[in-house]
Amino acid sequence: MKTITEQNLRALVDALISDGKRVVGPRVAGTMTLYEPLTGGAELALGELPRRSAKETFLPLCETILTYEQGKEAVHLGDVDPVRLPETVLIGARPCDVAAAPVLDAVFSWDYRDEFFLERRRKTTIIGLACTGGDDACFCTAMGLSPADSTGSDLFLTPLKGGSFRCDAITDKGTALLAAHAGLFADGTGEPLPLAEPALGALDLEKIRAWLDGHFEDPLWEEIAARCAGCGACAFLCPACHCFDIVDEGGTAKGARRKSWDACGFGKFTNHASGHNPRDVQPQRYRNRIMHKFKYYVDKFDQRLCTGCGRCIRACPVGIDIAAVLEEINDK
Amino acid sequence: MCDHKNIYLPQLATIEAIIDETPDIRTFRLVFQDEAVRDTFSFRAGQFAEYSAFGAGESTFCIASAPTRAGSIECCFRAVGRVTEALRQLEVGDTVGVRGPYGNSFPIEEFFGKNLVFVAGGIALPPLRTLIWQCLDWREKFGEITIVYGARTEADLVYKRELEEWEQRSDVLLVKTVDPGGNGSTWDGKVGFVPNVLEEAAPAAANSIALVCGPPIMIKFTLPVLERLGFADEAIYTTLENRMKCGIGKCGRCNVGNVYVCKDGPVFTAAQVKAMPQEF
Ligand SMILES: Cc1cc2nc3c(=O)[nH]c(=O)nc-3n(C[C@H](O)[C@H](O)[C@H](O)COP(=O)(O)OP(=O)(O)OC[C@H]3O[C@@H](n4cnc5c(N)ncnc54)[C@H](O)[C@@H]3O)c2cc1C
Ligand code: SF4
Ligand code: SF4
Ligand code: FES
Repeated sequence: MKTITEQNLRALVDALISDGKRVVGPRVAGTMTLYEPLTGGAELALGELPRRSAKETFLPLCETILTYEQGKEAVHLGDVDPVRLPETVLIGARPCDVAAAPVLDAVFSWDYRDEFFLERRRKTTIIGLACTGGDDACFCTAMGLSPADSTGSDLFLTPLKGGSFRCDAITDKGTALLAAHAGLFADGTGEPLPLAEPALGALDLEKIRAWLDGHFEDPLWEEIAARCAGCGACAFLCPACHCFDIVDEGGTAKGARRKSWDACGFGKFTNHASGHNPRDVQPQRYRNRIMHKFKYYVDKFDQRLCTGCGRCIRACPVGIDIAAVLEEINDK
Repeated sequence: MCDHKNIYLPQLATIEAIIDETPDIRTFRLVFQDEAVRDTFSFRAGQFAEYSAFGAGESTFCIASAPTRAGSIECCFRAVGRVTEALRQLEVGDTVGVRGPYGNSFPIEEFFGKNLVFVAGGIALPPLRTLIWQCLDWREKFGEITIVYGARTEADLVYKRELEEWEQRSDVLLVKTVDPGGNGSTWDGKVGFVPNVLEEAAPAAANSIALVCGPPIMIKFTLPVLERLGFADEAIYTTLENRMKCGIGKCGRCNVGNVYVCKDGPVFTAAQVKAMPQEF
């Protein structure tokens, strides 16, 4: 078994950076911890669950998909080749963040392949970290995951008593990274720190899906979502939400076409040009959020768009709690 | 264009002709600038594309010309917002972006040997016009062809010159109508709402397919009429026009339940539409 000390983990970050790789990891940013590009191993802050998810590593908030230059005579398009994207290592990512990446592979590789996402995925090596510090909004276990789940990780770190980490190579990418920096790892053992203990018990996910199947119309939607502000915070913080908009920025003469996050909770998301809006009140939009995560995506790709990270619960300004909603459906 | 790594990159096309259909509806005839694309671009009636006015963005329109008429494609759009206004500012010789073709299409082979009843309202003639011309180009493969087309007023009818052409053909029955009050002194068509005029025209349902496009309200009142005339839900086709962005099943915008209109549609039978959650 391989282990690595905290000091060597920071040295690993430095080594990866000096190899020319982009390294993204939890880092203290003002009053919070966020997954951000690191400038050195000293910045790595593994104590807290980052406020935003790690999906930005693969699906940036906003990214250029082409540029245009328009003269009187002709239009020149600048192709943005996804292949130019840098090799990246995502380090210290929690299981609830990491598990969302393979889930998103399904939609981005289905039929038309979105290489902006897929190339980033291919070029990213993920070093996951077993979670020892959850809070009462966490419910990964109810989603069939666990604080020690290595789903999606290439290399997986388990914190040990005394401050070092056990390292398990999960994929070839992980093995390669281990081999490339073999000097920083040691053979050894240790006793794992106690894992986080999500409060919510098991949910019957099949039952929830079956209930959703038959309750497109139900008073529940009105009860839960009448107070939803449609702020979109839940979607933006979610590691699995992937809806986006495509907009041109710049003038008519010159600019860039960009893909940027969007949310089905926004009032104009489905607005037609005629003024007709298929989801014109908030409960319909919240229903779509739940249906998409726990039914439509399951129907289509046999996966759920939720890993139980609890971020949407912590952030919701009106206290809407997705875990409580699932629990309520589960108990019906 | 699908084998390109960047699936969001459009092809460039030159506006070869502009036809003003109504005060706010315009047709573009577009020719791809890349010769290879011009030669190989193909699509099926019912498919759509994403058209861009660079600087404003992309907008979804059906491809309104017939697949049987190569060399150029046409779209027909109403100026209602940001992108469509920007498109309207363009002139002959200017460049637009075209990404597509996307979506499913009318299963035309299944219509061989059958009578066709086209029912359209207002700006919704374009998605049927592509099929109408294809069927007219393959005229011997079909039985009777009836077209019921209406708009609020005479001025709101699109493809007026083609309506005249269809009217003059002996192998097409065109019934054109305007809403009550929408007729001028020289109007030689019917006066009445599309569903009522359809009921009066009473096309036979036996061995017939109905193809219906129009605003949701028109479709809502047309389906019961077709039912009374004896059309089965499986013999009625329509298109859904949900808001779209990517057009290729990624952006998560166009779903009706677990149906992605951009991938599974936009063409559906009335039976399929009735089976969906009523959220469109
Ligand atoms: C499969 C399919 C096929 C289609 N085929 C056709 C076709 O053949 N022809 C056609 O004309 N259309 C067609 N449509 C509809 C077409 O896509 C829309 O009309 C078009 O995208 C509108 O784009 P826009 O950018 O001009 O409008 P937007 O700028 O997005 O505006 C849409 C509407 O919202 C309003 N609006 C915009 N911003 C605001 C704001 N901030 N606050 C309040 N209101 C606002 C606008 O006034 C407008 O009424 C089709 C749609 C689909 C899905
Ligand atoms: S829905 Fe909420 S709890 Fe589930 S993954 Fe998204 S942010 Fe986390
Ligand atoms: S965070 Fe809460 S208020 Fe905001 S959109 Fe989500 S559920 Fe609605
Ligand atoms: S338009 Fe993007 S998913 Fe259908």
